[in-house]
Amino acid sequence: MFSHIFITRLKCLLRDRQLVFWTLLFPILLGVFFNMAFSNLNKEETFQAFPIAVVQSDAYQKDTAFRTVLESVSKGSGRIFDLTVAENRQAADKLLAENKIKGYITVGDEIGMTVKNSGLYENILKAFLDSYRHTASSVSTIIKTDPAAVGRGLLNDLGAQKDFTREVPISSAKPDNILNYFYALLAMTCMYGGFWGLKEITDIQANLSPRAARVNVAPVHKLKAFLSGFCAALLIQSAEILVLLAFLMFGLHIDFGTKTVYVVLTALAGGLAGLSLGAFISALIRGGEGIKVAVLLAVSMTGSFLSGMMYGDIKYIIQQHVPILSYLNPVNLLTDAFYSLYYYDTFGRYALNMGLLGVSTFIFCAGTYFIIRRQKYASL
Amino acid sequence: MVIKVNNLVKRYGDLVALDHLSFEVGEGEVFGLLGPNGSGKTTAINCILSLLKYDKGEIEIFGKPMSPTAYDIKREIGIIMQNVAVFEELTVYENINYFCGLYISDKAERKRLVEEAIDFVGLNDFRKFYPKKLSGGLLRRLNIACGVAHKPKLIILDEPTVAVDPQSRNKILEGIEQLNRQGATIVYTSHYMEEVEQICSRIVILDKGKVIASGTKEELKSMISLGEKITAELFSLPAEKLAMLRKMPGVASAEYSDRLLVVKSEKGKNNLESVLNFLHSENIRYGRIYSELPTLNDVFLEITGKQLRD
Repeated sequence: MFSHIFITRLKCLLRDRQLVFWTLLFPILLGVFFNMAFSNLNKEETFQAFPIAVVQSDAYQKDTAFRTVLESVSKGSGRIFDLTVAENRQAADKLLAENKIKGYITVGDEIGMTVKNSGLYENILKAFLDSYRHTASSVSTIIKTDPAAVGRGLLNDLGAQKDFTREVPISSAKPDNILNYFYALLAMTCMYGGFWGLKEITDIQANLSPRAARVNVAPVHKLKAFLSGFCAALLIQSAEILVLLAFLMFGLHIDFGTKTVYVVLTALAGGLAGLSLGAFISALIRGGEGIKVAVLLAVSMTGSFLSGMMYGDIKYIIQQHVPILSYLNPVNLLTDAFYSLYYYDTFGRYALNMGLLGVSTFIFCAGTYFIIRRQKYASL
Repeated sequence: MVIKVNNLVKRYGDLVALDHLSFEVGEGEVFGLLGPNGSGKTTAINCILSLLKYDKGEIEIFGKPMSPTAYDIKREIGIIMQNVAVFEELTVYENINYFCGLYISDKAERKRLVEEAIDFVGLNDFRKFYPKKLSGGLLRRLNIACGVAHKPKLIILDEPTVAVDPQSRNKILEGIEQLNRQGATIVYTSHYMEEVEQICSRIVILDKGKVIASGTKEELKSMISLGEKITAELFSLPAEKLAMLRKMPGVASAEYSDRLLVVKSEKGKNNLESVLNFLHSENIRYGRIYSELPTLNDVFLEITGKQLRD
């Protein structure tokens, strides 16, 4: 009997094109969209060297200290500037006017700079020159008061920097600003499994559909029929999540870190949570299928929003100001579990999230059981 | 007795849907539950099937109390719902196979029964069709096949011909009679008196959740005071002639309007010949003229004062 109902429910669910679209194709399309929209975010956050010029002059040639420093920060992969030497001020002005450089340096009695706008790059150039002037002035003062300092390694000390705080890394994972969006997408897909749960309840509750009434008059225990269908829905939901994960990891090359097995297990547990949430909402809410779908959509989309799918910072705002909400929101528990798997080498935070998610799933399942266990209805 | 319903009361808030309803259905009967919309037919069926809670009363099927977990009883029941109860995502064959599989676990046996059911409702050419591709009549036939494929001893049909074309309706009624000939006891609910008259051996008429009459169709018709009804198309009928007609022996009433004369006879009287003689003797020209025996609608009308389809 189990296999008979299980196989038929598999057919019913897989042939529901609308459901397959919303639970599989829609998240994949959203993933592609996220990838297109956010793929440059991380690149933009890494520092890029910017072009400047220095005006050729005798003073510049003679100031070997400044020339050495300027050239040293303008070469190699960690360079700050893409340096051009302009023949004269007019040539430098022309480069500036054509936006080919952000600013240029002139060396005379004083070291000066000319920029066209004010902004990040111009500030960096100014900070560099200020730092140089400050250091040069310090060295000059030290040599004047203590000429022997040069012999004691003053110049070597200039390049040495000492930190007075110690950085303790919590993970070897590199920071990634867009991962949160994909975590929220995965969590949303898990919650969309609720549609399968909703359908299973509609097809087993005699007061919700005539076909369910027909199943109820058959000589089959109601919970047995429901569990067979629920297992079919869980299988489909799990398969869809694996397909989505595979697409994100191998198709879009999203790096979910090194704990791939845990990521997969978390997603599957999330699928079960979503399925049970949908079943619970369907059993709990009185009214037509449309109302149930609307409630499920509202719950999953609100949960996704609060966990940062549309606006990344909202997750931290909620965590800071209404922490209880982040513990009650299953979507957030999932995104946070993914997040902690990626960023933390320890499992404390992950275990807390998964524990709370497990409790939520248990509550949804128990609630559903208590509602659907009744076998007679007050009205049909 | 196949079904015994005793003193059944079902309330929806202040509304009494079933008011101390009692009836019995014997083995091999085609039992009709007749009543207008809202009379309590479907509620009674849902209580019998243990889908609905009820406030009072007892229900026995095959001599045992009916309950949601009475699987041995449920195994012998086939239900055809008022609304088509099939899965849109399954083909005709798969739908019948699924519902049959809830009763019959042996695959080979099930396959044979499903084939028989498809053949029985004439859906051989549509076995791979999805329900949304079927017409209303074919859909109703699929609905029936899903309910009877497992060869139940008791078949309950709740308004199976609603919104069905006449051809499909006849096919369905013939099928029900065939199932009965094969040994099934049938409970048939409808608000179409013609159908109930055509196929039911015993009838209970319901109104406002109460049994207002029960018996065979002949017994029901004999309960009322009227007999034959004669209808004649006349070009004109002077008032004094109408008065003469009313005074004829055996005539209960005579009315003339819209060029139609309707003469109702007293119970057990046949007046067609005397009315024809009267029209000839009075030189009244007439067109079509015909005589009808009382219908179940007349029974309902006389008992409740309203039409069955009101």
